[in-house]
Order: sequence, then C-alpha cells, then structure tokens
Amino acid sequence: MEYDENGVSIVPAELKKDIFEEARKDFRYEEYVRGCLNCGVCTGGCPPHRFFDFSPRIVLQKMKSKDPELIWTMMDEYVWACFQCFTCAMICPFLNSPGGVIAILREIAVRRGFESAKKVLKPYSRVLLKLTAYGNQLSPDMIQPDFFPDWGPHIGYASTDLAVKRKAIPMPTLQVTNLAWDVAPETMKELYDIFDEAGVFKIIESVDPSLYEIIQDIVDDVRSS
Amino acid sequence: MAIEISNRLGLANVKSDFIHTAGRKLEDIHERLLELEAKGEVKVIHVKEENKAIEAETLLGWKKKIPTNKLWHHKSCGQCGNIPGYPVSLLWFMNQMGLEYVDERNQTSCTAWNYHGSGTSNPVGLAAVAVRNWHRAYELGLFPLFHCATTFGDYKEMRNLLVENKELRDEVRRIMHKIGRELVIPEYIVHYSEWVHVMRFEIAKLKKYDLSSVIATVHPACHTYKMIPEDCIYDKDIYAGKRTAVSTGVMLALGAQVADYSTWYDCCGFGFRHILTEREASRSFVMDRKIRPMVREANSDVCITQDTGCTTTLDKNQWIGKAMGYTEQVPVMSDVMFAALACGADVFKIVQLQWHTTDWRPLCEKIGIDWKKSEEEYNAYLEELKAGGKTVNLYEYPKS
Repeated sequence: MEYDENGVSIVPAELKKDIFEEARKDFRYEEYVRGCLNCGVCTGGCPPHRFFDFSPRIVLQKMKSKDPELIWTMMDEYVWACFQCFTCAMICPFLNSPGGVIAILREIAVRRGFESAKKVLKPYSRVLLKLTAYGNQLSPDMIQPDFFPDWGPHIGYASTDLAVKRKAIPMPTLQVTNLAWDVAPETMKELYDIFDEAGVFKIIESVDPSLYEIIQDIVDDVRSS
Repeated sequence: MAIEISNRLGLANVKSDFIHTAGRKLEDIHERLLELEAKGEVKVIHVKEENKAIEAETLLGWKKKIPTNKLWHHKSCGQCGNIPGYPVSLLWFMNQMGLEYVDERNQTSCTAWNYHGSGTSNPVGLAAVAVRNWHRAYELGLFPLFHCATTFGDYKEMRNLLVENKELRDEVRRIMHKIGRELVIPEYIVHYSEWVHVMRFEIAKLKKYDLSSVIATVHPACHTYKMIPEDCIYDKDIYAGKRTAVSTGVMLALGAQVADYSTWYDCCGFGFRHILTEREASRSFVMDRKIRPMVREANSDVCITQDTGCTTTLDKNQWIGKAMGYTEQVPVMSDVMFAALACGADVFKIVQLQWHTTDWRPLCEKIGIDWKKSEEEYNAYLEELKAGGKTVNLYEYPKS
C-alpha cells in the first residue's frame, strides 16, 4: 500500500466506501455487530493481543464509526493478526463477534485479490491445493523435515517407509500417503460442483491464478475419469 | 447443595448447583429448526432410538441428545494425516462396546480450515459443503459425528445461518439439487468429545491401569467451546458448571487427577494460520502460555486435548523451545487417546503415539504400560506388511 506524507493510504475514497458498504451489507453483519460499551473485555481475553498490535475492541469501534477510512486501515495486516479463536465472541457481554467481523473483512480482502491477502495465503498453496482439488487437507507426505525443521528430528519419522506405516493404520480410509484419507472421485466431483456454484473457484483464481490453473487441471482429470 | 471441593489441585471436580447463564438470553435454534421442518422447509436428521442417545446439559441448561450408536464418522482433514491414533482410538472404543458406525471415502473436509479457509470460501460454499456431508449420513440412515473442533464450530455456525436465513437455504437447496441431494440439517451438531463425555462411565469400566498418580492438565479447544457456546456441554459436577465439562469429565471418570493452571482459557497458539505464517508467535504461545504454566503450576504428566490443531501445535512446538531455554516438556494427546491407553489399547498399533514428537514414554512408564514390548510387536508387524502381509483393520471395507 502507498502512503502520502501524512501517512494516509493513497487509495480512491470510492474504493474505501465500497469496501465499507460491502462489509456492512453482509447478511451476517447485524448478528456480529450489536451494541458496544467499549468495555474491552474482548481485548483483555484476546490471545493474539498478547503478541500483535491487534484489539477486537478496536475492530468493533471502527466498524461502528461508519468511517470508511477507519475500516480501510484494517484491511491489510490488521485483519490477518486475528487467531479466529472467537474468545471475543464468547466473552462479549453484548454478544458481539469481532472475530466474525474479521472473517467478513478477510473474505472481502481475498475476493478482491488484495496483495496483502495474496502474501498471507502464499504459504498455504499446498493446503489450498489439497483442499480444493481433493476435498482434503494435511496429507502424510506433506509432513517432511524440510518444511518443519523447527519441529525437531522426530519429524523425519514420516519420511521413511511411509507407505507401510500408513498401511499399518487399522482404518482402511487412512491407508494412503498423498491424502489425509482416500476421497472417492465421485465425492470430489460433488465438491467441484459446489465450488463452481458457490463461486469458490473464482475466489481462488482472484487470489492465486497459477494455483487455480493447477487445480483446474486436476479437476478436469477427475471429472473426465 | 453447598459448594464441595475435594481436589487439592484445582477446580476440576468442584460441584455446585449454580446454573451458568452467563447473562445470555438466546433463542434455542433447535426449536426453530423443528418449526422449519414442520413447515416442510428442511429435512432434519433426528436422533432415533437406535442411536441410543444420552442426554447432556449445555451452558444455558438446555438438553442436548448425544447419539452413541449408528454413527457416521466425519473425519478431520488435519488429523488423519498427522495424528492417525486420534480417530483410530475412537473407533477402537466403539468396537470394544459393540457399537455400529461407518467410516468411508464418501466424505469431504468441511473446508473451514484456519476458519472459513482464511477467506478463501464464502457462507454459501461452506454451508453447501456442510449440507452435502450431512446428507451423506442421512441417506445411510446414520447420525453424523464430527471429529474436528473447527468442523464442529463451523457446522454449528452453518446450521444457525441456515435456520435464520431463507436466502441462504434457497441457494444451498438449489446447489444440493444440482448434485442430487437435499437440504438436511442434523437435530444436534455433535463433536466426538461429547460422545466421549457421555460414554465416560462406560469407558471407565474398561480401565486397565491405576491412574491416581497421573496429573493431567486439560487444554480445551477454542472452536469447541468458544463458538456457539450455548451448544456446549457443561456439568454442575465438573468445574462447578463454570467451564465446559468435556475431556475433563472422562479424565475424572478414569480416576486421574485433573490439575488447574492459570492459562486454561488461552488458545494453543495454532492461530488458525499463524502456525505456518507466523511460526514464532505459535511457538512462543505454546511455551509461554501453555506448556510452561502446565508444568510449573501443575506439575503435569500429560496435556489432554480435544482437537486436531491444538494437539499438533502443543506437541510439535516443544522441541524448538529448548533452544530458548524452555526446559519444560509434557506429552500431548487427545482425551480419547489417553482413555484408550488407560483401557489397554496398543500404544503403537492403536494409539499410534510413534507419530508424536514430545516424549510420551515417561507417561507410559508411570502408568505401567510396557511400550517397549508394543514397539517390538509393531516393528515385527511392519516387516510382515512389507513382506505382503495383510493389515488387521478395525472394520471391513468396503462392506459387502
């Protein structure tokens, strides 16, 4: 994002207003943003508040301000600091859900292909691929020392004889190495139809076009099988 | 009844007749779901007699039926590749108890990883995936049981959104018709830890070891009890009804000591994206806010979890802590895995602790489990499989 000499982001006011309206028109908004007493209970219990410049109280206050500029200041790094643990929602005396507001703002950031969203999601390419193309996520062959060196030497356990170790698991669905469980192709096809109809593939395309192409190749192969 | 405290270590088995309302006055979504069913708007997966349900009380004192039989296992996409002993231990218990279930290939992830896929999905997509999986259980005549806390939280949220929003129902119904399915919603969204909780006394009957010297600390999962909290199990005999009862309940039933610690309410540090992209935050959270308090304040022998991400984060991040002078270590496993160990399940073939990073062997030795014998037998089993031997499975698949 670019800033002027006063530290204000150089973005057309119309875009900021659009984003503000998009968030407020979301059908979940009224459920997530109710009255706020500014009591700060949410921030007091917020786990990421201990480590990041992030406060659910500020999220609520900015949303209630009706100032598009204030919402815009949260759209880059700020919204990605949240843990999405929903501690705030559980303890808010007014039943607000700052975590829910963050979910809406993240969806907007991804849907509009913001650079900050692309940067945050880049390390998740493999996860997005497994999830979108196979209906699955963390596969056994993803857990390798070069990806998780800080998890210690034992992480290499999955590197040797993985196929036979997986075969020894007494659940037939789990006896594969490239998926968390063996998903049937017909099941994947249903998922693709859902993603087509709900616009999920389009979202992936806006945030990572090259990943989208890889996913579509797999989708085409499975659909034609 | 006066408050009764008998656990010197903390609040776990404090009893009270206080009803925890937390100031919440919420509409019971269950009633509204049944109204929609009566109008023909949705179909409902009801808890039937054959599901052998056990009733539990939730945060607001509402009744929740937990089906214990004829279940459809909705596996966790972060768990199966990483902590295989988690689902295996659960199915092992169901076999021990002669209960019926189906685990199959016809299931997708809930796709809510990192919660709502870190913005890579939308409510229509998430709700349609939920209904697709619910419908699969429905067509088999089974009740769905969700293994993952994020799935549990997401599916509770999707159920509520579907009940409250006609536009969302219409859109999901349209998509379901396109894939040959119908709009169905389970009467209750049930997490596996709730099954473990209501079955805790049956589980305790299978106990093989004396656990009275084991000190456990429980880490409750955020997406289990912080999301839609009015739908989570509370028990006036556990934490005096002030905290969710699941996981702690089974540990107490098994006769272990459950110790309190000051950061019980904190998350694990997974962060739902930070574990990959802000790893230092996850690591620091694990050691400073969880493992160190568990060990220093409670002298914990084992950290008990109830979700995929927490188990992974708390287990895997202890090793690197040593580089920064964090010497505290505690083995991490889910409630159902610990219960399986206590009931004589094989350490390697069933509980599959060999995939875990933090050393669990001292815990086994304290309990009296011969893990070395189990390891020898497992290694011999692997050699048999390498030579073309067949796996001894928990169930036949596919069923003829």
